[in-house]
Amino acid sequence: MMRAFNSIQQRLSISLITVLIVVGLIFAQMSLWLFDQGLRRYLENHLRNETELLVAALARGVNNIELDQRRISAAYNRPFSGHYFAIDLDDQQWRSRSSWDYALPEPAQPGLMQALADGPQEQQLLIVRQDYRRFGKNILIVVAQDYTPMLDSFRRVQWIAGGLGLGALILLVLLQRYLVARALQPLEQVREQIAQLQQGQRSALDTKVPQELHSLVQQINHLLQHTEDTLTRSRNALGNLGHALKTPLAILFSLANRQELNHHLELRESLRNQLEHMQQRISRELGRARLAGEALPGAYFDCAAEVPDLVNTLGQIHGRKLAIKWSAPDNLRLPWDRQDILELLGNLLDNACKWAHENVQLNIEQTDSDFILTIDDDGPGIAAALREQVVARGARIDEHIQGHGLGLGIVRDIVEHCKGDLSLHDSPLGGLQVVIRLPAPKS
Amino acid sequence: MRLLIVEDNVALADELVADLQRAGYAVDWLADGRDALYQGASEPYDLILLDLGLPGKSGLEILREWRATGMNRPVLILTARDHWAERIDGLKAGADDYLTKPFHPEELQLRIQALLRRAHGQVNQPQLDVAGLQLDEAQQTVIKNGESIELTAAEFSLLRYFMLHSGKIISKSQLNDHLYDGESERDSNVIEVHVNHLRSKLGKTAIETKRGQGYRFLGIDNS
Repeated sequence: MMRAFNSIQQRLSISLITVLIVVGLIFAQMSLWLFDQGLRRYLENHLRNETELLVAALARGVNNIELDQRRISAAYNRPFSGHYFAIDLDDQQWRSRSSWDYALPEPAQPGLMQALADGPQEQQLLIVRQDYRRFGKNILIVVAQDYTPMLDSFRRVQWIAGGLGLGALILLVLLQRYLVARALQPLEQVREQIAQLQQGQRSALDTKVPQELHSLVQQINHLLQHTEDTLTRSRNALGNLGHALKTPLAILFSLANRQELNHHLELRESLRNQLEHMQQRISRELGRARLAGEALPGAYFDCAAEVPDLVNTLGQIHGRKLAIKWSAPDNLRLPWDRQDILELLGNLLDNACKWAHENVQLNIEQTDSDFILTIDDDGPGIAAALREQVVARGARIDEHIQGHGLGLGIVRDIVEHCKGDLSLHDSPLGGLQVVIRLPAPKS
Repeated sequence: MRLLIVEDNVALADELVADLQRAGYAVDWLADGRDALYQGASEPYDLILLDLGLPGKSGLEILREWRATGMNRPVLILTARDHWAERIDGLKAGADDYLTKPFHPEELQLRIQALLRRAHGQVNQPQLDVAGLQLDEAQQTVIKNGESIELTAAEFSLLRYFMLHSGKIISKSQLNDHLYDGESERDSNVIEVHVNHLRSKLGKTAIETKRGQGYRFLGIDNS
């Protein structure tokens, strides 16, 4: 997967997770709080009823007011049962037996005490105070109930809800990743096709894409077509220019050969030299201008389709009993313009054919990052000292080596255009070995 | 040997015609592609020089049509398009050789000589060497037993034709067709005179007369 694709995926995941956690937490906390409040209100009512029962259990005794123990709930007698009361008359006090040595705090106001109070044995108590007036006395009743079981179950609910929420979150994120990956599938496809384009395995992008990508793909295809058209046009224009310049040059060559000049040999020689110079310059510059280089990402050179024609052509041109052999991996395509590579191989093989005695060998190989073209011949080769001159950057090899039949100018232009390099070695066949290394374009 | 030049640049065509006539060839010139398509197939040319950028019909189309109809005379493409992709297209269309402009006139002569020798079964020879005689096409002389013999232009053309068709019976009309261009007046008596001159220079038996049929070149091997 590519970086850009990942970042869309990541961005979506992060925002989704954030939104889900924030919303989930607020929602869970809110509902818990509301439930808690509702429960407390319910218990408050319950405790008020308790106070009423307690008031009802008070009765005027012999000389005092008595609490009828039979009419109060058994829970008030079991120690630390979680249910406690305290009754304050002006001069009398009762406390539930369950509270043992614990003294119930007395709220300042009647009604439910806002905070929970610490009870015995780490209990949390919900406390309600209710004031009555009976038997001509003020009766203050405080009732308490242990709230820890509720708190415990709230905590349990929190854990369970948290776990469930986390599970749901993971599930959602996974689902989202899958959905996003599916939704981005067309983008991924386009990316793959662009990579293929760069490797010369296709010449246009597939236009069967979702609406959102349609105009993008169309623009890219349009641009490719436009580049190709421009290249074709400029090559045609260069061809015409070449024609317009070279035909008069051909006439001048012919004129310089006229019999009238037989007695002016020096004049003929300098005319020819100048014409030769013009011709080389024109060929070189027009050749360079024609190069497509990396302008066309969809361009490719199909070895199996092109090399046999080139070899036949060379065989026909050189005529002699030359064995021109070649080898390349099956279905190998070089990701450069067909004409550029033909020009490169044509010039190198032509040169090899000129100098070879019998054998010329072309090998095309692909390594991880490069394409290696090797041209061997069994001719006289080039002395090692001279080779460096040929390979040295910027050396004017045209003039230098023309005498040696190595018109490497355009070859060097093409190799430089493809950002490759050229080196000369001794050939196992006995002559010169030219090795061209062209780095595969990176996608 | 009779050549056809198809070239739309008049100045270049003039130079080529003059050069090739000096080299002893009978030369016809056409500038239009459609004319060339017809005339190239109907007249008995020994070799055709074909430009690619022609008015009327492109050189490659003409060549393809010729080859499609079985016309198998040697064709040398003469063009300013010097790229290998174009060279391959030219040779695939059926050309025998491909020369790019500008070229040295000597180079063109050598290519024509080589193509003619090849077309007549003499592959890979630097010069015409038949039946004990060697023809120096640059000097227009013949070498017999290591001795150079001067030839007139007409004798040279005639001898070249004989040497390329060594051992075959050649009629006078065939000689007329191949030694004179379309506009020259043809007179078989003139040929007879040149044949006699050649015999006096090379030996009587070098050229045999087949009564009613024509001539046969035997050279000096069997004398």
